Amino acid sequence: MPFFDVVKLILWKDVLAEVRSRETISSLFFFALNVILIFSFSFSVGQDVMLALMPGLIWVAFGFTSILGLGKSFLSETHNDCLAYLQIAPVPKGAIYLGKLCGNVLLMLVVEIVLYPLFMIFFNLNILVKIPSVLLISFLATVGLSALGTLFSILTVQLRSREVMFPLLLLPLSVPVFIGAVEATQGALGGEPYFAYRHWVELLFVFDMIITIASFWMFEYILDY
Amino acid sequence: MISQSLRGKLWKLNGAIGIVSGICIFIGLFLGLVVAPADYYQGEVFRIMYVHVPFAKAALLSYCTLFIGSCLYLWKKDLIVDNLCHASAGVGIFFTSIALITGSIWAKPTWNTWWTWDPRLVSFAILLLILIGYLMLRTFVDDRKREATYAAVLAIIGFVDLPIVYFSVEWWRTLHQPMSISTRGVSIAPGMLMPLIFMVIGISLLFSYMLMIRTQMLYLQHLLEAKQGGLLSEEVL
Repeated sequence: MPFFDVVKLILWKDVLAEVRSRETISSLFFFALNVILIFSFSFSVGQDVMLALMPGLIWVAFGFTSILGLGKSFLSETHNDCLAYLQIAPVPKGAIYLGKLCGNVLLMLVVEIVLYPLFMIFFNLNILVKIPSVLLISFLATVGLSALGTLFSILTVQLRSREVMFPLLLLPLSVPVFIGAVEATQGALGGEPYFAYRHWVELLFVFDMIITIASFWMFEYILDY
Repeated sequence: MISQSLRGKLWKLNGAIGIVSGICIFIGLFLGLVVAPADYYQGEVFRIMYVHVPFAKAALLSYCTLFIGSCLYLWKKDLIVDNLCHASAGVGIFFTSIALITGSIWAKPTWNTWWTWDPRLVSFAILLLILIGYLMLRTFVDDRKREATYAAVLAIIGFVDLPIVYFSVEWWRTLHQPMSISTRGVSIAPGMLMPLIFMVIGISLLFSYMLMIRTQMLYLQHLLEAKQGGLLSEEVL
């Protein structure tokens, strides 16, 4: 089967399963909503301070949500021995990784796009004029987090302490994503011109490329072990 | 891949490595703590460098060993290479922790803070977290070969990630606020350099000595487990 057909099929399967059950997306959404509420109770400060804290809050909320969402991405494959079938399927294994990655990026982006209006409401944040740059940063950071998350999800899915191991592996390695995303969002929300925070966007892009290629290559060893 | 006779020779050589390492560390410490003069600016505090720098270098050496070993394992699937990687991570945690702790002790009187967001400090802290995650991952996998493969993948991804962590932290600190503490670019006087060279050689040899002993221990442990389980085969030997 051609490479990109496999990617499309895996993506289609994940999207269809999610659209039918709506299990993951609803749990992610309500989890993130709770995080935002806790944040709004915890930080009762003035508007200026809030604006300075905002990028950090946004990305901590998205980071926690991604731990919940990405960690489960291969869990559905453990039912009915789906993982074993993926292992023996005569298709390029990297394509399975890319399909899963696209599915995860899509899922996380949908959650993030729904959450931005909530940030606007709860924190009186005006991002309407900065939507293109905010979306670009969100997309790049989500790809980076999902690239690592998808790989670690398959690494930890058959472990005894899956819930503990997944964040322990994901968080230290995703430090560049958080630094890049927070700094770029700070620049975008602060109304700085694009070239002032362009290097952070480039950092996110470079991280995405390197980690996706490395994980794509490593995935074969994990499934083929 | 590594034959029985070669392993035997390496094992015999290891005793000599240990002795040379001990002698180098003894000479290095004597020259560094007794003979070398106190630093003009830092006074006696600088002497912690003779422990800190060699341990930091050995920690990097351990991660390089881990990375090369992991690549080799994925290529050759030789379980003794996996033992080497496992040992390297364990010894690496010890060396990284010592480097971080001695660095902190040095930073308090010199920079007046235990911790600062310097790229090298953060990279080392992340390195420590990756190594701890690596060992934890290994304890949670039951199947021996799966454990080795997963661990190798994690080590390689971590190795690829570390330079990006370093550069992102460097940008983060330098572009937003001037670094309150610049890393020292001091050229060292020969009297102070000599003990450092001895210490670096001694601690690096100590690292290889510990690595070999730990590898041997892990190898024997797995051999014993395999024998007890009645799974002894050519592959395990």
